[in-house]
Amino acid sequence: MDSRRGSRFVIDPKIRQVGFVPAGCESENPNASSAVAAIANVDVNPTSDSPSPVMIPPRLADPLPRAAPLPVPSPPPRKHTSVEIPLQGSYNPTDSVLGTSPPFSPASNGRYAGVPSSEGPDLSPSFVSRASSAMEGMSLREDHLGSPSASRFATVGEYAMFKQQQPQQPATAVTKVYASSLPQEPVQSFAPVGKEDSSKPLKERTTKAERRAKQEADREAKRIAKESAGAKVVEGEARASSNVVGKASRAQSQKKDSASEKRLSAVEKASEKEKKKEIPAPRMQFDDQSRVAKAKKRALIEQTETKHRVELFRHLPQFVYGAQLPSLEAKFFHDDAMHPHPAVYQVGLQYLTGDITGGNARCIAMLSAFKELIKDYCTPRERTLIRDLTARVNNNVSFLTTCRPLCISMGNAIRFLKTRIAKLQLTLSESDAKSLIIAEIDRFMQEKINYADNEITKLAVTKIKDGDVILTYGSSCVVETIILHAFSLGKKFRVVIVDSRPKLEGKGLLRRLLGRGISCTYSHINAVTYIIQEVNKVFLGASSILSNGTVYSRVGSASVAMVANAFHVPVMICCETYKFHERVQLDSICFNELGDPDALVKIPGRKGLSELEGWSQSSHLKLLNLMYDVMPADYVSMIITELGMVPPTSVPVILREYRKDPIL
Amino acid sequence: MCYVTRTSALEYEDIEVGKARLIERGEQIGDISLKARKTIAMLGQDFIRDGSTILTHGFSRVVLSILKLAAANKKHFSVVCTEGRPDSTGLQMAKEMVAIGVPITLIIDSAVAYTMESVDMLLVGADGVVESGGIINMIGTYQAAMVARSMNKPVYVAAESYKFARMYPLDQKAMFPSSRQVDFHYPLPSAVQVEFSSRDYTPPQYLTLLFTDLGVFTPSAVSDELIQLYL
Repeated sequence: MDSRRGSRFVIDPKIRQVGFVPAGCESENPNASSAVAAIANVDVNPTSDSPSPVMIPPRLADPLPRAAPLPVPSPPPRKHTSVEIPLQGSYNPTDSVLGTSPPFSPASNGRYAGVPSSEGPDLSPSFVSRASSAMEGMSLREDHLGSPSASRFATVGEYAMFKQQQPQQPATAVTKVYASSLPQEPVQSFAPVGKEDSSKPLKERTTKAERRAKQEADREAKRIAKESAGAKVVEGEARASSNVVGKASRAQSQKKDSASEKRLSAVEKASEKEKKKEIPAPRMQFDDQSRVAKAKKRALIEQTETKHRVELFRHLPQFVYGAQLPSLEAKFFHDDAMHPHPAVYQVGLQYLTGDITGGNARCIAMLSAFKELIKDYCTPRERTLIRDLTARVNNNVSFLTTCRPLCISMGNAIRFLKTRIAKLQLTLSESDAKSLIIAEIDRFMQEKINYADNEITKLAVTKIKDGDVILTYGSSCVVETIILHAFSLGKKFRVVIVDSRPKLEGKGLLRRLLGRGISCTYSHINAVTYIIQEVNKVFLGASSILSNGTVYSRVGSASVAMVANAFHVPVMICCETYKFHERVQLDSICFNELGDPDALVKIPGRKGLSELEGWSQSSHLKLLNLMYDVMPADYVSMIITELGMVPPTSVPVILREYRKDPIL
Repeated sequence: MCYVTRTSALEYEDIEVGKARLIERGEQIGDISLKARKTIAMLGQDFIRDGSTILTHGFSRVVLSILKLAAANKKHFSVVCTEGRPDSTGLQMAKEMVAIGVPITLIIDSAVAYTMESVDMLLVGADGVVESGGIINMIGTYQAAMVARSMNKPVYVAAESYKFARMYPLDQKAMFPSSRQVDFHYPLPSAVQVEFSSRDYTPPQYLTLLFTDLGVFTPSAVSDELIQLYL
C-alpha cells in the first residue's frame, strides 16, 4: 500500500494531504489510501462471506441484485447511479472503489422504511422506479455516464467471481442475470481479476498505476469513443485490452487498486491497516482545480465559488453563501437512500443560515440528528448494520460539511460515533445495536459536554473573586455559564465584553448578562488595549486546543490574548477535553474557515456607508472574512478542563492519557 | 498530610486498627521523605561543579542534603545564603555549612540582586509545587528567582514528589495565607499596616529545573506527573 501510495504521489503531485480530515471531506483520490483507511475503519468485523475479509468491503454483500437492473433500464437510471457514486465518493472511497454504494440500497433501503427489499430480479422494478424518481432532482453529469457505473460493475464482476467460488443463493441467481444482461460495459472485463493469481507482484501494480495515469490523460476521448462503440462484453482473457479500454476513471483505478490490494496477504493488510489508523486521513485542498471540480460534481448541493478569492487562502473552500439555500430547500423532501436524513438536513440548514453557532451547540445538534437517524434506520437486506450504518453516517456528515465545514469538536464526535459503531458486536440484534449506539451518543453528550461544562464552571468560579473585572471576547457558552454561576454564588464582579464585526456575537451575550443583572461593559476589539488596563482576568472559550497548547478559537481571540499577556493579565481558556486534537498548527492560515465576504460589506445601522458595494466588480479588491485564529500557548495562563486546571503544555498529556480511554 | 490520610485503611471498622495504620503511614512518610531526599541529593549534586557559587534562600533540608552530598564527593564550591526574614532560617543554614566545611557568606535579603552577578545558580527548596509548575516557598523566593532569570542564572528547585499539589494560583493572593509575625525592632504606630505573609508563589517561567525523587523535571512536566498520579 505504501509503495502504491508513493507511486500515486509521484504521478499526481497536486494531491497534498495534510493532517486531519473531517469525515466528510475526503476527495475521491486520496482514495485508495483513504479507501483502505475507510475499509480499515469500516471493516473491523469482516463478514463471513467474503473470502479475503480485508479486501472486499461488506457493502459488496449484495451488489449483484442491484447491479442487475442497472444496465437494463434506459440511460437515466444509469446516470443516476453514476451521479450517486461520485456523491458517495466525496468521502466514501469505499463505495467508488468497491463499486457499491448506498445508492444501491434504495432498492433495499430501509431508512425510509417503506421500501420492501426483494430478491434479485424483483429489485429491478423498485430500483428503477426509485432511480427515476431520484433522477429528477439530481443534476446530471454527462461525462460521468460511462465510467463510474462501469467501475462499479468492475467490482461487481469481481465480486461475482468470488461469489461463484462460494456459492450463495442470491449470488448465483444474480450472477446469471449479470452474465446475460450486461450491455456496453467494457469494464466487466474486470471480473476475472478475482480469479487471477493472488500473488501479483508489486511491480505490476506500479505499472498499472503508470498506465492509469496515461489513461487519465485521454480519458475524455476514450469515453466518447466508448459510448459510440457500444457494448463490448469482454470476459476473461480480454482483460488486458479492456484495461486500456475501460478508462482511467479514478473509480476504476481504485478498483484496480482494490483488486491488487486483494493480492496482498492478509497480514500485510493488517499491518497497513494499523498504519492507516494511525495516520490521520488527508484533508482536501481546495486549490487543486481538478480535485475541486470532482468534488463539485459529487456534491449534493450546488455551490458556486466566490470570485476574487484571496490567494493565500486558496486552499480553503469558499462558496457563495445563500446560493445553496434555495436548492437545499428544494431537495428537502427527496426520498432516496443517499439523501441525508431529514433531521440531519434540518441541522445542516440551520448551520448554513447561522441559526446554530458555537462548537458545543453544533455538536449537540449534530449528535441529536444522528440519534434520529439511527432511530429510523433499518439495516438493508444482506448488509451488515455496522458497515451500512457507518456509510450512512459518512453520507450525512459529508452533507453537513457542504453546509458548513465541520469544526474540530464535531470531527472528534463523529470519530467517536464511528468507532462505537465499528465496535458493535455482530451478534447483537438490530434493535439492540441501535439502542446501544443511541445510549452511547447520549452518554457522550452528557459526559463530554454537559457534565464537562459543569465541572469547568465549578473550577472556574474558584478563580473569580470579589472585586474582579473579567474580560471575555465574543460569546462562548462555557464562559457565559461560568459568569452566571459566579454571579449566582453572590460574587461581586463586573464583566467587560469585547466584540468584533462582522458577527457581533458579543451582543447576544451582553443582552443575556444584563438580563440577569450583571454589570457589563461593552467594547469593540479596537479598544481592547485601552480597556485591558482595568481588567483582572480574561476568560475565553475555544473551538479546539491543539497538541502544542495552541488554542484555535474565534478570530480575534488571539489578539485579545496577546494584549492581555502584554499587560500581565492572566488568560484562562475554558474548553472541554473532547475538543482537544492531536494536530499541531503554527499559523492561522493552513487550516481555517472562510466566511461570507459579503458580510463585511454591510454595516448594520450605517446605511450611508456603502463604500464596499460592488466590490466583486473590482479585480483589485478582495475581501477576507476569516472565522478562526490561532493563539500560541505562550499567551495562555491556564486551560480549565473538566479534568482540572492544566497549563497549556499539558494538552498532549491529556490526549495521551485519555485516548486509551474507550470513551474517546 | 494527604499522603497519610489517603489510604483505604481508614475504612476499617476497628478504630484501633485505623489508628495504628495512620501511625504506620506517618512513619512511612518519614521514611519516604528521607529516601526522597537521598535521591534528590544524588540527582542534584551533579549540577554542582567545582568552583561554583550557589545562592540559597533560607533553610531547606533538601537543599542541605544536596550540598552535603556534593561536599562529601569532594567538590569545591561556596555558598551564599540569605538571612530569610521573617523566619531567619538562613542563620541555621550558615551553621550547617560551617559544619560540613563549605565556605559560606551570609547576606541580607535585599542584597540578592547585588550578589547575583557573582553566583552561578540559585538553589531553593519548596513548600509546595503547584500544577502550573511553579513553587510555593518562603517569601523572597520569587524576587530571587526573578533576579536570577533576568541575569540568566539557572534557578533549581529541590522538592520531593509528595509536595506536588493540584493548586493553580494565578497571583500571590490566591494561596492560603500563612503569616509570621515580623519583628521590626522598632515601636510602630498602630496605624501602620504590616504585610505578614511568609510564603510566596514563584511562577514557572522563572524556574529552570526541578529536582525531585521522580527525576529531574522541567516545570511543565509537573502537570504531566500530577495528571498521571491523580487522574
